[in-house]
Amino acid sequence: MLLRFLLRRALAAIPVVVGVTLITFLLMHSAAGSYVPGLSLNPNLTPKDVEQLRSELGLDQPIYVQYLDWIGVAWIMQKVGLAGVLVGAHGITPGLLQGSFGHSMVDGTAVGGQIFERLPNTILLTLSAILLGVLLSIPLGVMGALRRGSNLDHFFSFLSIAGVAIPQFWLGLMLILIFSVKFHDWGLPFLPSSGTTTPFTGGDLLDRLAHLVLPALVLSFFYLAIWSRYTRSSMLEVLSQDYVRTARAKGMSERRVTYLHGLRNAVIPLVTLVGLELPGLVSGALVVEAVFSWPGIGLLAFQRALAYDYTMVLGIVTFAAVLVVLGNLVSDLLYAAVDPRIRLQ
Amino acid sequence: MIGQGAAGEFELPEAAAEGRARRPAQSFWSASWEELRENRIGMVAGVFILVLAVIAISAPLLAQLVTHYQPTRQDLDSQFQPPDARHLLGADETGRDTLTRLIYGAQISLGVGFLAVALQLVVGGGVGLLAGYYGRWVDELLMRFVDMVLAIPAIFLFILMSILFRPNALTLSVIIASVGWGVVARLVRGEVLSVKNRDFVLATRSIGAGDARLILRHLLPNVLPVIVVAASLGVGAVILVEAALDFLGLGIHPPTPSWGNMLSHAETYYHHSPYLVIFPGVMIFLTVLAANIFGNAVRDAFDPRLR
Repeated sequence: MLLRFLLRRALAAIPVVVGVTLITFLLMHSAAGSYVPGLSLNPNLTPKDVEQLRSELGLDQPIYVQYLDWIGVAWIMQKVGLAGVLVGAHGITPGLLQGSFGHSMVDGTAVGGQIFERLPNTILLTLSAILLGVLLSIPLGVMGALRRGSNLDHFFSFLSIAGVAIPQFWLGLMLILIFSVKFHDWGLPFLPSSGTTTPFTGGDLLDRLAHLVLPALVLSFFYLAIWSRYTRSSMLEVLSQDYVRTARAKGMSERRVTYLHGLRNAVIPLVTLVGLELPGLVSGALVVEAVFSWPGIGLLAFQRALAYDYTMVLGIVTFAAVLVVLGNLVSDLLYAAVDPRIRLQ
Repeated sequence: MIGQGAAGEFELPEAAAEGRARRPAQSFWSASWEELRENRIGMVAGVFILVLAVIAISAPLLAQLVTHYQPTRQDLDSQFQPPDARHLLGADETGRDTLTRLIYGAQISLGVGFLAVALQLVVGGGVGLLAGYYGRWVDELLMRFVDMVLAIPAIFLFILMSILFRPNALTLSVIIASVGWGVVARLVRGEVLSVKNRDFVLATRSIGAGDARLILRHLLPNVLPVIVVAASLGVGAVILVEAALDFLGLGIHPPTPSWGNMLSHAETYYHHSPYLVIFPGVMIFLTVLAANIFGNAVRDAFDPRLR
């Protein structure tokens, strides 16, 4: 059952992933078709030099050949003796299908290597934010539900409305202004505003944590806003169910009713919501990474896009999109795992 | 009715009939509108957006008569001028008046916000209607394409397209809408699927209505509430995305002032002019807050599923 579900979903995902590579490739190609737009204007380069550069990067091939080369189909065609179909192709290398993301057009480093070097930083940031969000939003949501209509509840409600209206990058800037700049000016202990460690002297656990606090806080604020709202409303809904009334009627303590029957069932929708964030693990932090110069995948993609680094951007976007597809699958499974009423079909 | 209730009713047949005549059956739209008007906070938020829109439209007039500065006019004598009588909200690194720039920035935020949402609705609504109505391969083709667009993290699509176009307000709206339409399409398609099997559709078809008439005159009005709700909740989200893109240098480029790009060089303001970091952000926050609150009010009033 589970296996069949997985298999069917995986098969359905294939055309989506292929489409994603096609869309990103075409977009990147139209955005930076001639690699660096200013290249041919560089007075130090003769037209012949430019031609040679483009040839070395494979940009002189027909566009469909470039695409097939990138996804690795061209390599297979070459192996089985179909290379003649690829008119104008040269220097064909293994591609995505062979597990190779290719090499950066700017500095020649392996794209896959760069992604996996940056990935831990991004995962650390987003997972901390998600953890922080869950740990804070459940108590806030439960408190709001138990004291419905109180001032505390109204305050939490405002907090969650504000949380989705506040621009993430500005919240980051304000926190830097207060906790890094002003605290420093006032002679108080202050938090670092960029990077993952202090250059030269830093690198121990405490230093890493200090760097993590602000960006993780900014990211989690958004999660907090949404999740505490959901916890509150699903808690309210669950507490009005008949089985909760039954539990109370048979003399169960209010505490046990709240936590055993109430919270456990109320957390179910939250699991899906948290699951929905999994696909965003890689791309969701881009803006925060940019504000805090956090050397993650988002920042890499952003910087390389501005430098017209074709292969790097394509690699990251494809990687992220595959994660989205996988993440959706995982969150479906998670949902089914927590709620036995849901059957996989 | 049985018993006393029935007896009670018999006593006042005329009054009841009269009451009915005075109050004709209320349409869905006027009932919703009335409900929206009763939502105090929602209306305040709506009025805030309206006032801001009027300010944005009359920006040139306000710059002429009230602030007496042009948004791009540099003045090296008032570099980093703190708020005072001459510059009510201070001036930036080249001495440009912050208040004037904020007023002009409202044009970008609201303009892109409304335009992008409108585009999303037209494209997404159209695709959703077609996919839902025709079903089969049309549905399969269109919705798989939606899946693809939505599988690519939106921010990456924005970055790629921003490099491609070097956007102005118009192209930026197109860029933002090119992702958001997918969500609307899914929503509208789902609604069409639930509506199209009802009897009135069959009845309409049986008296000879063509596809176009059925879609535009009968299905569209029935999915319109969903579209209205999506629209009112979409504006705030678009304004946030637009500001973030401007901030990253991928949206509206200086010297045209926008709330996002006024924050691009925030790190140079921290030490002597923190207010330059504060004001644009507060404007974005308040505007999105108002848009979302109004959006929620509209949803509460118009969403048929909440009735």
